[in-house]
Amino acid sequence: MPGFSILRLIQVGFRSLRLHKLRSALTMLGMIIGVWAVILLVAIGEGASREAQEAIKALGAQNVIIRSIKPISDKVQLQGEMQWESIYGLKNSDAVRIEKTVPGVKRVLPILRHRKNVTHEQRDKDCQLIGTFPHYPQFTQSRLVAGQFLNEMEEARKENACVLTMSLAGFLFPGKNPLGQEVIVRGRESHQIFRVKGILEERADSEKLPQQADATGHTILANVYIPLSTFKALYGIKDIDLSVGSISVNTVELSEIRVEFGSVDEVVPALPLIREALDKVRKDKVDYEIQVPINELNALKAQKARDTWLLMLIACISLLVGGIGIMNIMLATVTERTQEIGVRRALGATQIDISVQFLVETLILCLIGGTIGVLGGCGNAAFFHYILHHTTIVTEWSVIAAFGLSVGVGLTFGLYPAWSAARLDPIEALRHA
Amino acid sequence: MADRNIIEIRNLTKIYDLGAIQVPALKGLNFEIEEGSYTAIMGPSGSGKSTLLNILGCLDRPTAGAYILGNDDVAHMSDKELSGVRGARIGFIFQSYNLIQQLNVIENIHVPLFYQGKDISDYYDHCEKLAQKVGLGDRLDHRPMELSGGQQQRVAVARSLVNEPLMLLADEPTGNLDSTTEQEILDILDELHAEGRTLLVVTHDDAVAERASRVIHLKDGQVDKDIRKQDSDRKSENQFQEA
Ligand SMILES: Nc1ncnc2c1ncn2[C@@H]1O[C@H](COP(=O)(O)OP(=O)(O)OP(=O)(O)O)[C@@H](O)[C@H]1O
Ligand SMILES: [Mg+2]
Repeated sequence: MPGFSILRLIQVGFRSLRLHKLRSALTMLGMIIGVWAVILLVAIGEGASREAQEAIKALGAQNVIIRSIKPISDKVQLQGEMQWESIYGLKNSDAVRIEKTVPGVKRVLPILRHRKNVTHEQRDKDCQLIGTFPHYPQFTQSRLVAGQFLNEMEEARKENACVLTMSLAGFLFPGKNPLGQEVIVRGRESHQIFRVKGILEERADSEKLPQQADATGHTILANVYIPLSTFKALYGIKDIDLSVGSISVNTVELSEIRVEFGSVDEVVPALPLIREALDKVRKDKVDYEIQVPINELNALKAQKARDTWLLMLIACISLLVGGIGIMNIMLATVTERTQEIGVRRALGATQIDISVQFLVETLILCLIGGTIGVLGGCGNAAFFHYILHHTTIVTEWSVIAAFGLSVGVGLTFGLYPAWSAARLDPIEALRHA
Repeated sequence: MADRNIIEIRNLTKIYDLGAIQVPALKGLNFEIEEGSYTAIMGPSGSGKSTLLNILGCLDRPTAGAYILGNDDVAHMSDKELSGVRGARIGFIFQSYNLIQQLNVIENIHVPLFYQGKDISDYYDHCEKLAQKVGLGDRLDHRPMELSGGQQQRVAVARSLVNEPLMLLADEPTGNLDSTTEQEILDILDELHAEGRTLLVVTHDDAVAERASRVIHLKDGQVDKDIRKQDSDRKSENQFQEA
């Protein structure tokens, strides 16, 4: 068929559809909603998955994170009913043993955390006091915004130097340069003065991670980094937790050990060796947990693949419903336009001409519906992203698939009405009132 | 009159097979239609006029017999071939006008061109001339709903001419019109006849038959009378002249 005929067919198709605007719009609605939903759902799913993946990647795919956890029945009663002490968790020696015995380990990073109140002049904030080694920023891929991070000399001399996270620095020193200033870390026995020497920006995404809950389940984004040696010298390893009417003391040498491997491939084979190194000195006591970002990442990817199939299934079902709606209307249209079909046949239209005409009309409905759905879905996803700040990512394949499916649905469900129109007997059709 | 025959039918038979019974609608008709003639087909209701016209218009196939249109035997053509014949060689005018509602006047005139695979942009002037010829040069962009019955039938006449067909077939073309409008349409048909076109009109109406140069009367699916008039006595029909 020459090009001008196709243009003409499309033009005439539009005319016929415009004749019943409301009906055409309603017919398209099924397709619009189906495609809209596909685009939006995929964008939301993709956004959530991408966010989680970034967060896990921020932990480092070649890292393993070992955390101290409190065993359930491991309380030693002290001085009467209301005081408890638990001694558990990772030790310096664990870190050293892992570094020495597990093959592929590049370096380890010990971390000790307590919650402390930090003040500067009138402002104060509950913070996470973190004692760690100078290579913390490289290890966690955090960015130093100003000043310097802690160094080996401060570690060796147990100096009162500290680095603040950006949000905390902004809070404690509004409109001031925090570098060289002092903050007071309040403890139970004594208040200690620390000199601010740097500002660190935690990798943005890792802040969004549901931070591994500390004893109280709080998530604290305000971090104060000090040398590990200073931490131990000033505060010891007893973290005192004042709950309602009771005191519990958690004696933990290290809150966390991060282990970095030379490459991602070395991580998984090394896991049993890490366990072995830790369990060697423990008697059936489980007081640590191992987080393996690479495994989580893989699990997430597998989950995403499953989600994608599920979404595709939902998409197909909704487009199927849309398609059936379209077929239904097109069949009604064929009946309604029987006389027109007869006239066109008398004026020289072949059966193919008639079926192509109705197929084109169905396709127009599907394509317009699909286009509105794609635009609506994309717009909706953008609204979520930019206005509601809920990460969404519109993927190319979802647009292509949604479009392809709407064309497919148009062809599939347009075929039967088109065929039933073509098959009409010209005389019978002409006589149809 | 030119002597070339446009139509030749031999023993043309149509039997409607309704399963239990068979209805013979045409019982072996024989006649020719010459080029440039104006023939009216008359007869009582149920005599087979529409059946005959449908077969002559290639909308239907005879059960038996031969039908030569131009030089081709069309009795045994396929559906696709018949569609081509209808579009290229026959112009239809229907009792109920049968315009396509979603198209305007000029677009309705275009339709038969489209199915012949012709590029409409090459024929715009041609179509406009046809519209002017039937007196609708100023209504080109009107929809059928905005036109009177007579105007719609004029569009149908213009549409039937667009592919320069061998002949025009009309089934009760004035059946839905009042007498004034009927005269106007019949005047246009006269004009077309004068131009040398071949016309075949089924009618109940003596006013139509009066204008034809030949009247074929059907009765029970057979030719009852076949009356040819000289141009001079066209308006005074002679009932007793038989073929
Ligand atoms: N599709 C059909 N199925 C069965 N019988 C039919 C069919 N069409 C027509 N007939 C029969 O064929 C005969 C001729 O019908 P036709 O329509 O040709 O008559 P007509 O002369 O056009 O009548 P009218 O003047 O009422 O239009 C009638 O007996 C009619 O019942
Ligand atoms: Mg009839």
